[in-house]
Amino acid sequence: MAEISEAPSTLDPDFDQENMRKSKPGLKRLTLSLAVLFSFLLGLPFLLKSIEIYRSPLPFREIDDLSTAFESSPILFPCHFRAVFVNFDPNSYTADQLSISVQAHMAKFAAKNSLACGTCASNVTVSVTLDSNSNCISNGNNVDWKCGALNEFKFAEKHEDGLLDEYLASLCDNNSGAKVYTVVVVKTEQEEVRAVVGKYRHAWIMGRIFEEEAIEKIAEIFVNVFVNGGKEEGLIHGEFMPLGADGRIVLSFNLLNADPHNWIYDWDFQEIDENLLSPVIDALKPLADVSVESQVLYHTPKSSFSFWDDRLDSYIFSTKDLPFFVNSNEWHLDTSVAAGGLSKILQFVVYVPSAKECPLQLQLPNGEISTTNGFISPMWGGIVVWNPSACLMDSKIKHPLRYKISSEDSRKLFEVFMGQLRQLFGLKSDGLFVGASGTSILLASERGFSEWELDVLSRQHSCFNLLQCGTTLGSLSRLVQSLPRMIIMDDIGKQVKYSLEAARLTLSNASLGIYDASAESSRQARLLAEDAFYHPSMMSVSYYSFEHCFAVYSPFFLPVLLHVLLAVLREWKRYKQESKKYYAWKAKVK
Amino acid sequence: MDSSFKSTTLISIFLLFFCNAIPSIAFGSSSTATTMHTNNWAVLVCTSRFWFNYRHMANTLSLYRTVKRLGIPDERIILMLADDMACNARNKYPAQVFNNENHRLNLYGDNVEVDYRGYEVTVENFLRVLTGRHETAVPRSKRLLSDEGSHILLYMTGHGGDEFLKFQDSEELQSHDLADAVKQMKEKRRFKELLIMVDTCQASTLFSQLQSPGVLAIGSSMKGENSYSHHLDSDVGVSVVDRFTFYTLAFFERLNMYDNASLSSLFNSYNSNLLMSTAYYRTDLYGRLLEEVPVTNFFGSVMETIHTDSPYRAFSVKYSKSKAEISLDQSDEVEQRRLKISDVPQELIDSNITDKHATCPVTRIWNAILGRIEMMKELDSLVNYGLILMFLIVTGSSWFSS
Repeated sequence: MAEISEAPSTLDPDFDQENMRKSKPGLKRLTLSLAVLFSFLLGLPFLLKSIEIYRSPLPFREIDDLSTAFESSPILFPCHFRAVFVNFDPNSYTADQLSISVQAHMAKFAAKNSLACGTCASNVTVSVTLDSNSNCISNGNNVDWKCGALNEFKFAEKHEDGLLDEYLASLCDNNSGAKVYTVVVVKTEQEEVRAVVGKYRHAWIMGRIFEEEAIEKIAEIFVNVFVNGGKEEGLIHGEFMPLGADGRIVLSFNLLNADPHNWIYDWDFQEIDENLLSPVIDALKPLADVSVESQVLYHTPKSSFSFWDDRLDSYIFSTKDLPFFVNSNEWHLDTSVAAGGLSKILQFVVYVPSAKECPLQLQLPNGEISTTNGFISPMWGGIVVWNPSACLMDSKIKHPLRYKISSEDSRKLFEVFMGQLRQLFGLKSDGLFVGASGTSILLASERGFSEWELDVLSRQHSCFNLLQCGTTLGSLSRLVQSLPRMIIMDDIGKQVKYSLEAARLTLSNASLGIYDASAESSRQARLLAEDAFYHPSMMSVSYYSFEHCFAVYSPFFLPVLLHVLLAVLREWKRYKQESKKYYAWKAKVK
Repeated sequence: MDSSFKSTTLISIFLLFFCNAIPSIAFGSSSTATTMHTNNWAVLVCTSRFWFNYRHMANTLSLYRTVKRLGIPDERIILMLADDMACNARNKYPAQVFNNENHRLNLYGDNVEVDYRGYEVTVENFLRVLTGRHETAVPRSKRLLSDEGSHILLYMTGHGGDEFLKFQDSEELQSHDLADAVKQMKEKRRFKELLIMVDTCQASTLFSQLQSPGVLAIGSSMKGENSYSHHLDSDVGVSVVDRFTFYTLAFFERLNMYDNASLSSLFNSYNSNLLMSTAYYRTDLYGRLLEEVPVTNFFGSVMETIHTDSPYRAFSVKYSKSKAEISLDQSDEVEQRRLKISDVPQELIDSNITDKHATCPVTRIWNAILGRIEMMKELDSLVNYGLILMFLIVTGSSWFSS
């Protein structure tokens, strides 16, 4: 290292060559190395910018909050109940006493459920109205019951349940605000007590009944029918929610001719669709976006076996054969072109057996013959075996005749399909509710589902969709955070934002008690969350991990950086040393 | 001076740790116990191409035929093949693929629906099938449309090695990629139970990184072992089937749709002397006992069926009151097949690996080092420490050398 120092002319005993120097140390080398280091460091932000990837900012905190909120506290809906006692003695019980008693019984029935998600909130109030000939007493603030409205209705005569249902609907119908579930108890002289639940949101009990029995029945109808949908437990399992991730369902109706050499059947599906199916699709609108397809297939035998039974005079297949009935090799059912990748397809099959197996009946384990000849498989669809009338004829015709299923038969088939569709959604296909305090008849609606059933489905679907949305968004945020070098496109960010907005809207709708709007917005929330999660750009195999990036760039920069840093340090050390020497000499000179 | 040295060290440590991606190990809890088993899916993947890998395509096609015969429909099978055997110029029997030298069965005969063929069989497409992240235009037949009640059979065959599987001679599927895909599937509830069968060399290393519950995996050989082909067909000129798949098929040829043999009988049917390797399976992530699980839970078609009690009579004018007399024990018949065998479970790991032939001291020391490294769990932190040490050594040496 060349140091510019004066050669001493004489050996000065005070001048220590090692620890002193006479001139100030030069700064050139230090500034040079510092300049190199500084320019190196100046380039660092440019390097980082060039390897930066675009990640749309996702609201991780909000997603976590929302998903934990959904999982911890179940979503409960406010429900309003009303009981009307007609022709009862107002002096025996007051309206308040009756209300408290009904609420106590309801709490007893609801305790078995322990507040499953999607049921009614626990603090319900039941408003009671006592309507007798003289006057109308009620508790509660909002009295919507028209007093004496049922006086004209002569209960002694035999009336159609449908007419009474329509009449009560016109009385109870108030479109303003929340929906109220009503049970009307009418004391008549008939010995037999009948309980009927209508197509809308009311039910009635008629007969010679006393208050205690009435209260028991009312509470049971409120909890097990209106809240839980006709079942003991309120929660519908996942396998009875046949909803696609994009909120769409495709109903595929198939008519299968097992052996066209015997007969060929066709159907007028257009007619069925226009008259019978469209009200059902309309009813399901808040729950799902339903589309319908149909086809007729030939040469489609089933793959299970049946045996001839002399006593029943038909071919019999039992419930043990049901899992093997569908012959997937020959039944090409999944030919839908309209269904998108995330939609759910439900298959409804009419199976017309061949002459070798005709008539074909289903025998139940208790030995009886099934009245519907049909069964469902959850998340797949339903099958009905229809025996043609040509079956009983003995003729062997060379060229098989083409027949069309009559509209009466089509209607009957459609009734079975309707029952199966209800079963696929978790409701029952028959019209009875059997409870602890007796049997109630559930009236059937032309829309396939009664209003109160649609309410139950809306609540359950809102709950299910929100939970799915929460878990999907949670998985998405975990995935995104675990891969720091994966590009997150703007689409995904927007979908997450809209999904969170829809989820918040659902919660506010649910708190207001608007069931169908909350089902609609929960479906939207889930749809957006699933679209964001299944975005095709988020494949971890396509992106470098952080170690990979480090391993690629470090051989270029680390060795150079190391040497530059060391050079700076060495120069700094030298400068400090030399200036210490200089100051020592300076001090000595002074 | 010392402080600057320390700061350099700190900066380097910080740099190194900063560049470590911290994997997230949290996965959502899912209640598989309450979901009903609704359908079965099969994903069959053959990862080899070229004529000398005939046996891998024959393996996959044989398994395809088996699961179809036992009832899984084409719409629930995803078949990924390179599909260059049947019409290969070197094939003496054009449009025919055999898995036995007696040529009794033509696997390519009729009704073979290949979903991903040729160069579409890539690691990316395979992972897209598993995770479900397809482009919007991909048709339904190429998607795995399973739901939370599905049982999925995943069969992979080809050339593999320690923690990887080779795809079409150009890329690799790592075991941690597979584990990651399965984890994402579990979080999204795309399966209820998953059975992974791998027929490659060192097959059981491929599923060593799995951690999701509900997964059962069996591989044809353990780490360090090869899987062998069964026999050479001198007429066709190549080996036509692998041993593991051959014995699997031998087991299934005895079954039909109605049988209820259990998975433990399948797993116990593998004889390591005949296979010339050890068929290793892991059940630690799988909740149920293997004796109680019928093979048709994965290989056949199950449909849970419920009888429809009555039609929904809404579409006629009159409501009849006679419906009240419907007998009430017709409701909710659920058909399930269960098998209860009270056998004691048997493990298949019966090979004891002892180094009988490591007489040379260098080899012995090397094996000891390897064994010690195998046992260490935190390999990542060891690598990090090594890197820091290296950096420090370089820094120190260049400092002191000047």
